[in-house]
Amino acid sequence: MSFLEIDHVSFTFPRHDKPVLTEIDLHFDQAVITALVGPNGSGKTTLTKLMIGVLRPACGEIRLDGRPLVEYSLGEIGRRVGYVFQNPDLQLFCGTVAEEVGFGLANRGCQRETVEERVAFYLDYFELKDYGGVFPLHLSQGEKQRLAIAAVLANEPLFLVLDEPTVGLDAYRKRLLEDYLKKISRSGRGMVLVSHDTAFVDRVAERVVILENGRVIEDSGRKGKAADEA
Amino acid sequence: MKLDPRTKMVMVLCLSGLALLYNTPGRLLLLLAVTVAMLLIFRFDLGAIGSYLKPFLSLMVFLFVIQCLFAPSGCVLLAVGPVPLVTTGGLLTGAGVVLRIVVVTAAAMLLATFNARDFILGLVQWKVPYELAFMVSIALRFLPVFRDELVNVVTAVQLRGVDLKKVPWGQKITMYSRLLFPVIYGAMLKAQRLAVSMEARGFRVYPRRTYLRRLEFSRADYVVLTVFPAAAIALVIRHINLLAH
Ligand SMILES: Nc1ncnc2c1ncn2[C@@H]1O[C@H](COP(=O)(O)OP(=O)(O)O)[C@@H](O)[C@H]1O
Ligand SMILES: [Mg+2]
Repeated sequence: MSFLEIDHVSFTFPRHDKPVLTEIDLHFDQAVITALVGPNGSGKTTLTKLMIGVLRPACGEIRLDGRPLVEYSLGEIGRRVGYVFQNPDLQLFCGTVAEEVGFGLANRGCQRETVEERVAFYLDYFELKDYGGVFPLHLSQGEKQRLAIAAVLANEPLFLVLDEPTVGLDAYRKRLLEDYLKKISRSGRGMVLVSHDTAFVDRVAERVVILENGRVIEDSGRKGKAADEA
Repeated sequence: MKLDPRTKMVMVLCLSGLALLYNTPGRLLLLLAVTVAMLLIFRFDLGAIGSYLKPFLSLMVFLFVIQCLFAPSGCVLLAVGPVPLVTTGGLLTGAGVVLRIVVVTAAAMLLATFNARDFILGLVQWKVPYELAFMVSIALRFLPVFRDELVNVVTAVQLRGVDLKKVPWGQKITMYSRLLFPVIYGAMLKAQRLAVSMEARGFRVYPRRTYLRRLEFSRADYVVLTVFPAAAIALVIRHINLLAH
């Protein structure tokens, strides 16, 4: 059993006739970094939204940790899967950068000291230390992106879904993100990352899934990792 | 049926004016029936009203309960000791408040059945300054943006692992009030960006604007423009007379 399983999933937006995704079959394991690539409009963002329950598939089933996704509330999904939106503006809602990073922990009833300690760590790692008291939407695009990632990582979810996380990051910050994602993967957690950044994908991903016109046209994971390494 | 946007505006004004005036559920229900009939005539998808009202559902329940509790009158249906908890009068007031919100929202939907351009054109032909007309139409356009923004935030909050349904009421209110400011401010930032992009495209560079089309009233417009205000004025006078007696 994989951690996140997508079986025969198709999806069409309401009041549209052309399906955005057709017959998707993908299983994602823990401790593996999977890259989801494909041209604009191929359905990558839609697929990630289905994976975290923001959209519901028209047919087919998605299972998280063995249980159908529809049985979870959004909050329960959020505690297991961290999702970084393609547009960071959509997920920043607090009054300050520090509050943003601590929001999930504080609302889950963590001790104040624990929250502060973790907030300090993530602000430091993503080089947002000087912006702790700033209004999140006043940050530059790259800073917002780093904040969105930090706020999701601070929750320490079991699995990560990142929609184009490298957009707006400079080479040095991309390297930092790469190191952190690899560290997460080594600690046994899996992730799916949507990216157009081929260099980044080459360095980070162990499996590459290519989506075109709403169908999976290539999946390096299918061949089996053993064959690749042989 | 195709009516001039200005005619529709007059209709909306009449309907929502009466909704604010009336306070008995019976009359408000009648008003709602008229509004829904109008929406059907203009082929408006009634399901959309439901989705507009959904985010405000808890607010409406809250108002209903408050009215029930704090406007006691009539027969007592449920009491705790000497304190009347649910009264017939309170129930009616509560229902009135909720219906009023529904009528005003439904009437406002009539505005959504024509496009912003026609709206501006209509106002300008009524000698409203273009900038003002544009502002009003932007405000109307921003209402759905604001609603989407709220929906987004509610989704984003839950995806950070908070079960909004399970958060106790007191805590929920503090959380919402803390989120209110950033959400409003964020929407304002977006509006500011719109203003910059408008100026970059030459908004208000020339003092006089010209228009490609002119809106003309049809016979149906004249009928509605007579019937609606006349009926509304008659009803207002009747209402005032009833109050006076
Ligand atoms: N809310 C929506 N309503 C209707 N169509 C949509 C919506 N969101 C995306 N689409 C359409 O779905 C297709 C896939 O979009 P998306 O998943 O965002 O692609 P990608 O992330 O791969 O660029 C596009 O053709 C897009 O126009
Ligand atoms: Mg996308």
